[in-house]
Amino acid sequence: MTSATLAGLVGAALVGLGLYGLIANPQPLRKILAFNLMGSGVFLVFGIVARKGAAAGLQADPVPQAMVITGIVVAFAASALAVALVLRLFEAAGQATLDPDAWAKPPDGGAGAE
Amino acid sequence: MSALAQQFGPALLVAALVAPLIVLAIFLMFGLRGPARAITPLAAAPALAAAAFAIGDAPLGAELPALRMSLWLDRPGGLLLLAAALVWLIVSVFALREGQGRPSADRFAISWLLTMAGSLGVFIAADLLTFYLVYALVSVPAYYLVAHDEEAASRRAGGVYMAFALIGEAVLLIAFVMLAAGEPSGSVQIREVVTASVASPWRDASLALIIIGFGMKIALVPLHGWMPLTYTAAPIPAAAVLSGAGVKAGVIGLIRFLPLSAAFPGWGEALVWVGFIGAFYGVAIGVTQRDPKTMLAYSSVSQMGVIAVAFGMALASADQGAATNVAFYAANHVLVKAALFLSVGAVAALDGRARTLALIVAALLGLSLAGLPLTGGALAKLAVKDQLGDGAVGVASQLSGAATTALMLVFVMRLARSPAAGRAGASRSRLWSWAALAVAALLIPWLMFRAVGSPAEALDPAKLWDTVWPMLIGAAVAAGVWAAGDRLPRIPVGDIVIAEEAAFRASLSLGPMFERADRALREWPAAGLALLMVALALAAAGYASR
Amino acid sequence: MTAGVSAIAATAGGGLLPLAILLPALGVLLSFLIGGRRSEWIALGLMPLELVVAVGIAYFVWRSGQPLVYTLAGYTPPLGIALRADGFSAVMLVTAGLIAPAAALYARANIATPQELTEKRAPLVFWTLLQGIQAALSLVFLGGDLFNLYVGLELLTFAAVPLVSLDGRPETVAAALRYLLFALFGSVFYLLGVALLYGAYGTLDIALLAPLIRPEPAVWLAAGLMTAGLLAKTALFPLHLWLPPAHANAPAAASAVLSGLVVKGSFFLVVRLWFDVLVGLPGVIPGTILATLGSAAILFGSVLALRQARLKLLIAYSTVAQIGYLFIMFPLGHGPWAADAFSGGVMQALSHAFAKAAMFLSAGLIAESVGHDRIAELGGAARVMPVTFLALGLGGLSLMGLPPSGGFAAKWLLMKASVEAGQWVWALVMAAGGLLAGGYLYRVLAPALSGESPQLKKAPARGRERVALVLALVALLLAFAPPSFFAFLQIGRPAAGLALQ
Repeated sequence: MTSATLAGLVGAALVGLGLYGLIANPQPLRKILAFNLMGSGVFLVFGIVARKGAAAGLQADPVPQAMVITGIVVAFAASALAVALVLRLFEAAGQATLDPDAWAKPPDGGAGAE
Repeated sequence: MSALAQQFGPALLVAALVAPLIVLAIFLMFGLRGPARAITPLAAAPALAAAAFAIGDAPLGAELPALRMSLWLDRPGGLLLLAAALVWLIVSVFALREGQGRPSADRFAISWLLTMAGSLGVFIAADLLTFYLVYALVSVPAYYLVAHDEEAASRRAGGVYMAFALIGEAVLLIAFVMLAAGEPSGSVQIREVVTASVASPWRDASLALIIIGFGMKIALVPLHGWMPLTYTAAPIPAAAVLSGAGVKAGVIGLIRFLPLSAAFPGWGEALVWVGFIGAFYGVAIGVTQRDPKTMLAYSSVSQMGVIAVAFGMALASADQGAATNVAFYAANHVLVKAALFLSVGAVAALDGRARTLALIVAALLGLSLAGLPLTGGALAKLAVKDQLGDGAVGVASQLSGAATTALMLVFVMRLARSPAAGRAGASRSRLWSWAALAVAALLIPWLMFRAVGSPAEALDPAKLWDTVWPMLIGAAVAAGVWAAGDRLPRIPVGDIVIAEEAAFRASLSLGPMFERADRALREWPAAGLALLMVALALAAAGYASR
Repeated sequence: MTAGVSAIAATAGGGLLPLAILLPALGVLLSFLIGGRRSEWIALGLMPLELVVAVGIAYFVWRSGQPLVYTLAGYTPPLGIALRADGFSAVMLVTAGLIAPAAALYARANIATPQELTEKRAPLVFWTLLQGIQAALSLVFLGGDLFNLYVGLELLTFAAVPLVSLDGRPETVAAALRYLLFALFGSVFYLLGVALLYGAYGTLDIALLAPLIRPEPAVWLAAGLMTAGLLAKTALFPLHLWLPPAHANAPAAASAVLSGLVVKGSFFLVVRLWFDVLVGLPGVIPGTILATLGSAAILFGSVLALRQARLKLLIAYSTVAQIGYLFIMFPLGHGPWAADAFSGGVMQALSHAFAKAAMFLSAGLIAESVGHDRIAELGGAARVMPVTFLALGLGGLSLMGLPPSGGFAAKWLLMKASVEAGQWVWALVMAAGGLLAGGYLYRVLAPALSGESPQLKKAPARGRERVALVLALVALLLAFAPPSFFAFLQIGRPAAGLALQ
């Protein structure tokens, strides 16, 4: 098996693991980690695409590499935003859970705190 | 077409639709509530003029390209518009004066004006979209005419009314879409769409939906449950205009949308059966009622059944001339039924000799519906005789005349028994309006009859006997019913609507089921899995359709 | 290939396209640099300019009858990136250009920096991110490259999420976190799809990619992944878990923008994907799946809206239902009815944007004036706040699909296309949806119009009422769009011949 195929399988496995983590884990922090795992899997797939493409006759196609870099930045920003929200949630409520039953209904329909 | 009609016709048509809305704007935006109430009767005047032109002259037409509206008034529409505009005009004189200062009075006035605009407009709309708009105007705002106070009975009646109105509109929307789809050139003009529908693949579906949708409006049995509730709960002026002019939106709908250019024997026969069931069912339930207003509502159910029979016969034999005849019958009903409702109010407000006079007038009007010679009703029965023919249908319709006689006589007797509210309940204008409308109901049909046939025909003795013998039978039945008195069964107002309400309440129990499903779906694992499955389903679907 | 070549060369007037993206981005930068209460002035100052740019783009598209193209730095695809504005883009840009300032004007009263502070977190974030949303929407509507669109999509999500949790209460932060995580879930799927498409064809430019698409497994997988990811962001049933708490608990101006515009951004991309990129594929079965989900959304969302006790939650569930209508256009994309179906879908997007924004703004006014938004206790409120409830009612008219309103026009077009295509079940669903919408509107309006006299904590400001009313009136006026408007929407649609390759 070539290194490209191996990388492809690893990428698929990462996406699968991330998918499982994202669906099954209730804690937000773990979901963020799972998202990052999936992201890494997708970037690996991009890397393979770069290897395969080689449109300009180079060793590897530069366009997917650019896309991976952009993707990493976007994933980083996403994770930062998500972690900030988790921290704020923990500060405000003492627990970080997405379970909707954990939050009492606001008494005034959300109008008072605007 | 006379020069006058040519010059003013289009403007009158537009004014007929727009005048009530202008009065509404004066009411709302300029805050001139008193003057607006006072000029409300005038809002029906342009429609009256337009109708007079259309009956006497050639059809009127008008286009408003900027709003994508087209208007058209032919003779059948004109007959109905004349009667409706007259009713709106006369009843508006006193309808908005009462209860001023109460918060619900403003709501009532706004609904009154909107319903008037829709009611007058529905006879002149010429394209599908305009028709749907004015039909919505005549159906939806009338809610506050019915649920005019905070009483539980009014709210229940209003709720049932709205349910039927909205379901009817949804049914008609699908029918209209089918009609539009069947028109190859994309036109939405009603005449073109209906002509094209005969050849379209959706002909039967659209015809069924048209009959059901407009049938709900004219209270064809078994879709009639809302009418008794509504007319009992609504105040007298509202009941007068709704039963008079409002319901005829369904009649004009059938006139415009039934494809009378081609014969549909199956559908026609079905409509005849449904009509007769309604005609006799309405009377049967009506005689057991105790409230005069409810009895009038059931009488409307019965009369609409007769109209359905006429439509059915026309549909079965592709009789295009039926439109004018049925329109005349319905126009007579507009005037008479509105006058009858006002009579209920008048009888309640008068005493002594005046009350007796009012009862006699009420009796005349009621028997007019049954075809009393020399009244408009006799002319109406004559008008549709061509449609009903002389066979089984003709005899059955004569028997329905007997049934109507019975119902109306029992009605008058119950009215006589009903308590008098005393003069305190009657304003001058209310009594004068009633008098005017009663006179109109008895005389105007004679003026309109020239559009349908020759008045001399109405005085033919042979034809007179045809209407009199059913009335004698009816009188005998009425005597029997009256003698039975309280031994008659007590059927709740609206009869089968009770079952329909129960079914509705049962369907409400589905709500918590949906909520539980929503809770389950909004759990993260469920949603996550759903996302995955949507992706795979779409991918698989694409692969499968290669 | 001719269509492809002409769609990658820059056209006159194309210079406005990057301006539409850069102006709000500039606003974001300035807001961060200068900060404080001036962020509000920057936003309010730049929004009229953005509207002018949007109208200018629409004008140039209309005049030339062709899509506008702009190639960044003069490099043409496949090496460079192109921005494209067709009829649909232009109309959505103008819509965003109208609704965002309306929300901004509304929000001035209650999301303002107090006098005694130089800077406060919530107002600064609001004004900055409002511009961020506009920049992101411009990129989404104008982007011509699938990866560029990914960036725009992410930008949109990141700008929208903090608006949900603007007031910092735990419920709103949790709702924002749910929104973000589910949206990110969708993004990863989208990105994976993009990777597969690049791997198969070597280009991501829409105009170049469309003629190359063949029905192969990579394409189907990519289509499924990308669509599912976008559906997660559009909150189509059954992926709607984040929308009701997010839209109901955000401040009213933010809800208006979220329901009216943000959700339309990802919907726009689904249309781009299926009607522009994958136009060569037989898309009836996937389209039917989308329309089925849409029908489920209509019925489910409407029934749930009927059962809500809070006004803002009712309106949020109504959004879930109305999003369903948007997807009825997908199985109707091929055939003589395709133009009607496309126009109907676009009209639904537009009229829903305006009507829902009007309804959320009115609901915000009601909540502030009465002190709560519990429907059961709003008796008689319409008599003391007539203009507010008029805006609510007119918006509701469009939602119900009663004439004259844009919602009716949309419903008419979609129902007609469904009947003509023989797929009349969508027409039945839409008629039922209109009935149910009537039901939940009746639930709100009937008690409000009763004769009680409630006490108001404070009267609603006239200007804010008028903003909501104007938005509702626009939704109504859409009914009178002339036929040239529908012709305008068709500018840039690929020719039918491409569909048969």
